[in-house]
Amino acid sequence: MPNSALAQEFQGGIVIANNSSGSMKIVQAPLPDSVILPLQQRIGDEAVALVAVGDEVLTGQLIAETTDYFCTPIHATISGIISAIDKQIIPHKSGLKSNCISIKSDGKDEWISLNQQHKNFLQSPPEKLIDAIQAAGIVGLGGGGFPTHAKLKNLTNCQTIIINGTECEPGIMCDDALMQNHPLEVISGVEILLHICAASRAIIAIEDDKPAAFSALQKCNKNQQISIVKIPTKYTSGAEKLLIKSLLNIEIPSGSFASDEGIICQNVATVKAISDAIIEGKPLVSRVVTVTGSGVAIPQNYEVRLGAKFADIIAASKPNNLPHNLRMGGLMMGLDVENIGLPIGKISNCIFVNNAEKKPAEQPCIRCGQCNLVCPVGLLPQQLFWWSKHKNTEKAMDYNLPDCIECRCCDFVCPSHIPLAQHFVAAKELNYQQTQQQYKTAIAKKRFEFRQFRLERNAAERAEMMAKKRAELQKKMANDKSQKAKIAKALERVKTKKDENNSNI
Amino acid sequence: MMRQVIYALLLGVIAEFYFFGWGVFWQILLGVSTAILVESAFLKIRKLPIKPVITDGSGALTAMLLAISIPSIAPWWIVVLGVAFALIFGKQLYGGLGHNPFNPAMLGYAFLLISYPLQMTTWAAEFLNFAQSFEAIFGINLPDALTGATKLDSLKTQLALGKSATELSINSISQAWINLGFLLGGLYLLARKIILWHIPIAFLSGVLTISSLLFLIDNSLYLPPQNHLLLGGTMLGAFFIATDPVSAATTPKGRLIYGFFIGILVVIIRVFGGYPDGVAFAVLLMNIAVPLIDYYTQPKVFGQ
Ligand code: SF4
Ligand code: SF4
Repeated sequence: MPNSALAQEFQGGIVIANNSSGSMKIVQAPLPDSVILPLQQRIGDEAVALVAVGDEVLTGQLIAETTDYFCTPIHATISGIISAIDKQIIPHKSGLKSNCISIKSDGKDEWISLNQQHKNFLQSPPEKLIDAIQAAGIVGLGGGGFPTHAKLKNLTNCQTIIINGTECEPGIMCDDALMQNHPLEVISGVEILLHICAASRAIIAIEDDKPAAFSALQKCNKNQQISIVKIPTKYTSGAEKLLIKSLLNIEIPSGSFASDEGIICQNVATVKAISDAIIEGKPLVSRVVTVTGSGVAIPQNYEVRLGAKFADIIAASKPNNLPHNLRMGGLMMGLDVENIGLPIGKISNCIFVNNAEKKPAEQPCIRCGQCNLVCPVGLLPQQLFWWSKHKNTEKAMDYNLPDCIECRCCDFVCPSHIPLAQHFVAAKELNYQQTQQQYKTAIAKKRFEFRQFRLERNAAERAEMMAKKRAELQKKMANDKSQKAKIAKALERVKTKKDENNSNI
Repeated sequence: MMRQVIYALLLGVIAEFYFFGWGVFWQILLGVSTAILVESAFLKIRKLPIKPVITDGSGALTAMLLAISIPSIAPWWIVVLGVAFALIFGKQLYGGLGHNPFNPAMLGYAFLLISYPLQMTTWAAEFLNFAQSFEAIFGINLPDALTGATKLDSLKTQLALGKSATELSINSISQAWINLGFLLGGLYLLARKIILWHIPIAFLSGVLTISSLLFLIDNSLYLPPQNHLLLGGTMLGAFFIATDPVSAATTPKGRLIYGFFIGILVVIIRVFGGYPDGVAFAVLLMNIAVPLIDYYTQPKVFGQ
């Protein structure tokens, strides 16, 4: 594939005016006074703290660990003193509380000594590198948060690595800034991945409205195996399966994974983190976060320590004094947050500070079909909505509910302002519950039937045994009878003999 | 959105006004007032909020479509009855906007045409001023000379009398202008992306296909295809009536099928049916087929 090939466009999706005129510098956010690090990760068990309140820690020091395969260890992101280990609210859809370690900064940011044993990564065996990636606490930084080592382990026959350099949503620019400011690290991260996966090629996909990032990477790339490709700027082009389709024209079947086709996808920020971890030996203690929206003077990217508060970087962006709506993660897929005191996590790529606006009132669906035209996976949101609203999950499943990627393209165009995707999430949840219920009922039924069967079998066995015993008894009795009869006969014989004898006398 | 559609209708309405006079104005006024009254009353009885429904403009649009479809000098109770029927039986009884399977305006039209064929086919033969049209609509009879049968009707009778179709088609200048007005309004809607192209284009191709076919079979008996495009309710139907989203098919492919068959039915009813124009019945017939069309034209889902 030629280096600057423009990948083909996919059906549906929406073009949203991207008026991010922000600077592409990455500003170092000031060292936070304190950080809050949740022990609960995206999936898996809660990590166990290795430190106690009052302990002194260094930046990058391991402070919590778990043996769960899908989890990564947790590192201190500043140096200082452990001030608390307790339950705190974390930024999560459920508004959950999780156990968190809080560290109070000593202002020195003293690091642990870095272990650079894999600096010449080509000499290290892939398994060692994967372990090092896990040990550095690296997860998907694009917003998914899926642990990277889990994606890399047990790969068989991986052909192609796709590096996702598309911002998942308009307005977010942290990946763009990262590619412009750290092209070397991105390329070396890709080389590490090529070594680990033994793949034959890697493709870095960048939207065509990011020429600066494109040329920065192009300049640094000396590797024949790596190509850099522009793709059309359109929302949802960064969704994994759609990206694969537009780059390679391979359609990953519904229900299976990219890795089944010998493809793995990684986000550019993750790739850079891999490079930092392997070459410099640095665990993941910070990330780039975009602060944008109508409520701030200049949209800006910050390199922030994990666990710092959103409030810290919002303040640095000079918000106006109007009331704001805050949204974490992106206008489309993100979630509204109310509290800017929440800690920044590994997946917090962006925070929108928008002037509060009244949401337009929801109106009935007029079946205009606009939503059907934009769905990037070819669903009929209008039909899905009809059935989801009426809780008819069976029908909704008929219309391929599980294939919805919850991208909210349909919401965006709906003239009646219906929160369609929200209904689909609810319907999926309901369907899950129902199938669980069905499963449970099926199991209960099976159990009941088995019990019934067992009882019947026992009864039958007993009956058989009884019958056998009875038969034996009868036989015995019959034997007895014949015995008795013999005796009687004998007695009779004796008697007649006696009688005879008597009469003979 | 509905309001944009109403604005787009104005060009065609002005053309109607030019040829038929003030009656058009009276009909629209009567129709829209009836719509507001009927819907408010209905919602009040059902104890539902009234304001959002009245302000969404959908009732007014239904009334307006009906008002411009019926003869401009039809008596006042025709449009009142039609609009009331359309909104109560065609919309609110199904649960209001978004739930009705049939196009309400066309349901009202069909009801009127079946029940009051005489009033529904008597058109003004020339421009009527404010007072004349008022008289005609509100009860005082006009002299016969001022009225005539609908253009299509007279065409049909005269065709039957053996005159050539091309000769007669010149008579339909007024119809052509009105159709052009609606065509321009429709193009505006397309440009503003308020309606999508699928239905109107498919509708017009349907009309062209079947009328060309008929014309090829016997050009002395059937009108040339371009005349069908500019006669009766063709343009109004293609851009404003068949595109009613609520009762139309919703999938892209489904809309092509839906529009195409309406186009075909319109011409068939016009030519072979007993009614002067076929838009209403064609649309209603295809409304019935919508669930089926939608089900069998689901797009291919990614990864399946
Ligand atoms: S875009 Fe909204 S109003 Fe239109 S069909 Fe879809 S859900 Fe209904
Ligand atoms: S949210 Fe689901 S239904 Fe809506 S456009 Fe995205 S994938 Fe399609």
